[in-house]
Amino acid sequence: MIQGFISNRIRELRFHAGEMSQAELGARIGVTRQTIAAIEAGKYAPSLEAAFRIAHVFAVPLNEVFSWSPSSER
Amino acid sequence: MPFREKTAWLSLLAMAIAFGPYFTIASLDRAVAPLPDLHRLGLFAAAVTLQVIVLAAGHAYLRLVSHGDAVVPPDERDREIERRAITTAYYVLIAGMIMVGFIMPFTARGWEIVNAALLVVVAAEAVHYAGIGFSYRRQA
Repeated sequence: MIQGFISNRIRELRFHAGEMSQAELGARIGVTRQTIAAIEAGKYAPSLEAAFRIAHVFAVPLNEVFSWSPSSER
Repeated sequence: MPFREKTAWLSLLAMAIAFGPYFTIASLDRAVAPLPDLHRLGLFAAAVTLQVIVLAAGHAYLRLVSHGDAVVPPDERDREIERRAITTAYYVLIAGMIMVGFIMPFTARGWEIVNAALLVVVAAEAVHYAGIGFSYRRQA
């Protein structure tokens, strides 16, 4: 299986959205502030639906929020 | 700290306060008495009552200081954390129940078996709540 990791630009996108707070973003996509913090830190991979909602909030395509990089291949 | 993490640690604390002394006393007092042993039953009832009191007081306090966090419904991460913790606790419960139900009847009897079954349930619940607490700590 291809190994890899998911990175995201949520912190940067929040900054460009007028320093939107984690709580506000969480409220808009239906998760808690702590969940947004965990996603930003790369500790939690959101569901596809939550990922699409985040992209929708920032009005950008999904691949501008999340990216996946392979670390090794077997 | 998320409200759900606080309640998980509270549940763990309540179990430690109530069942720590109970199982300590139970392990020291191994005299065989005919069932139902009302003395031991009373001790167990006292432990459960203590647990309920600690939980009720703790929940009341946490709701008071949580500023509305208590009414926020669980999100997908909360549900995922809960699911993982329950899965881990389930393995503890099944392994313990196999031990109590299939192995202990050959070596023990009476309240020893009852207490072992209770210990397995408490251990499974402890793993459940600890799993929730540590998952939130790790932000997982």
